[in-house]
Amino acid sequence: MGRQVAIASAGFCEHAVRRSDVSMPEMVKEAIDDCLSKVPSVGIEDIDMFVNGNMPAFEGASIPELWMTDWMGARNKPLMRVTTGGTTGGTVAIAGYYSVAAGLPGVDTVLAVAFEQQSQGDTSVGLSSVALGELTAIQSIGMPLQKMKRLVSAGAAIGIAAYQATNYMRKSKITEEDLARVVVQNRRNAAKNWYTHLKMPNVTIEEVLDTPYISYPLRFGMVCPASDGCCAMLFTTEEKAKDMADIPVYVNGVASVANETGIMGYNAGGGGQLDPSEQLGAQRSAELAFDQAGISFPGKEIDYAEVYAPFPNQELMWVEKLGLFETNTAPEMYANGTTAANGEFPINTSGGVNSTNAIGASAMERPAEAALQIMGKAGNQVPKTVHTSLGHGWGGIINLITMMVMADEPKRKFK
Amino acid sequence: MSKKMEYDRKEYDVTRTMPGNWYLSSYKFRYSLDHLQPWFKKLKEKKLVGTQCRSCNTVFFPPRLVCGYCLVKPDLWVDVRETAQVATFNITYEKNPQTGEVVEKPVVCVRHDGTDTAFLAQLSPEINFRETYVGMPLKVKWRDEPEGNIGDLEYYEPLEDEAKDLRKEE
Repeated sequence: MGRQVAIASAGFCEHAVRRSDVSMPEMVKEAIDDCLSKVPSVGIEDIDMFVNGNMPAFEGASIPELWMTDWMGARNKPLMRVTTGGTTGGTVAIAGYYSVAAGLPGVDTVLAVAFEQQSQGDTSVGLSSVALGELTAIQSIGMPLQKMKRLVSAGAAIGIAAYQATNYMRKSKITEEDLARVVVQNRRNAAKNWYTHLKMPNVTIEEVLDTPYISYPLRFGMVCPASDGCCAMLFTTEEKAKDMADIPVYVNGVASVANETGIMGYNAGGGGQLDPSEQLGAQRSAELAFDQAGISFPGKEIDYAEVYAPFPNQELMWVEKLGLFETNTAPEMYANGTTAANGEFPINTSGGVNSTNAIGASAMERPAEAALQIMGKAGNQVPKTVHTSLGHGWGGIINLITMMVMADEPKRKFK
Repeated sequence: MSKKMEYDRKEYDVTRTMPGNWYLSSYKFRYSLDHLQPWFKKLKEKKLVGTQCRSCNTVFFPPRLVCGYCLVKPDLWVDVRETAQVATFNITYEKNPQTGEVVEKPVVCVRHDGTDTAFLAQLSPEINFRETYVGMPLKVKWRDEPEGNIGDLEYYEPLEDEAKDLRKEE
């Protein structure tokens, strides 16, 4: 067992569809400034190590960490880079956790930074580069181009979510109205949070259902935006965190579990996930993280959850698969207000990925928001006192699920 | 219908930007497809085969190079039936660039009976795909003269679902 790790602070930059006023390093600097402004006693000289990550294919900028070394204040300091596609943020946060937990001499305080400036590049080119080898191979074995074009258009991130949605809708017998209700909750919450992208204070269910389909059953109004943004988190040891922050947040469990590819499969073979809404990887990831944190009844012991849900059906699916609600009861919880900001079990009061999606940063914004809710410094703070919370991340085609469970008290299971 | 949703938008200054390009065609992907040759050979004879992992008995259709559960090469060839079920599906909306007309097309993932993997396929163009559901029974429609490639599985025709009434009640 390594050292107990604590989160001292977390910060964001303003997210928008096009942050045309800043370059990529300048945007990262904004988030680091916001992160350090919450801990006045910490200067850039107190930080021992940096972890950095984004999805380079989306921006077309290779090795961006060298470009922004000076903007991060990382000159002459250890710097590590992690990138895992959609879960980059979650993995960067876990790498920051591991760096502190390892107990290396001279590495006590670690700044983890995850960012994405999607307006610089072309996300669909970046996504297709993931699968280009697979696709060219399939074409060479006799798939007509017209047919393949259709399969590709259904195979991007929204396609994967649409498959999950059709299976989930069949199992839980929900309608599109239930999906729209999740969107409305997220977008209204986003309007109360300062850094989010899609702020819609007066959106209604009818308005969402009035938009055209992108891929059945998901409509234009239900889909996440493509944002520019950055998130920074400060990890440190238990002793130092007590000096830095009023309420330090202790990380008690982390997990990162890989699952099989969604639909395409490997080597032109089929996908092994027969039911895309089953999500065995998420169940395993939750099991590992809760086990480390000593949580036996996540539905009762956890006060607040941030789940990675670009599409509304995923939000319903994750809260069930992570064990927060019983199977097929999530739509009901959204209908009766349990998950609202003033409800019994608030979920995604920051607005979630559904309102703000800077892909590389999104999975780190989940644990960052969950930590800020415990500290009481979140943009859309819930009225009830949060003792235990969780941040979850999901990565597109290669299903990689990250989890971070945190609390206001350290876990002393092994001492 | 094509109404856009309004949101509180903030305008930012525009700094100097420079256009740039990555030439994706300069990348070459090396990819092994040799393991599919026996499969193609059987397709030409209008027969379906898959590979089975000797360790966990998972049947892969189309054949795969490695079993992710056991880390062994599945090398046991087994026959696969022509009947299948819809494992999952979605509907895409294609816009014709010339006419601007939006065409709905279904994309289904089918699982052949006796296999443990699903793969992307096409439904018969004659049926109303709006009636597609998870678990719908299907049968392969072969190309008239198979050539020994993936196009031989032209599309899937629906079968009469004997369990449909039971499913509705559950």
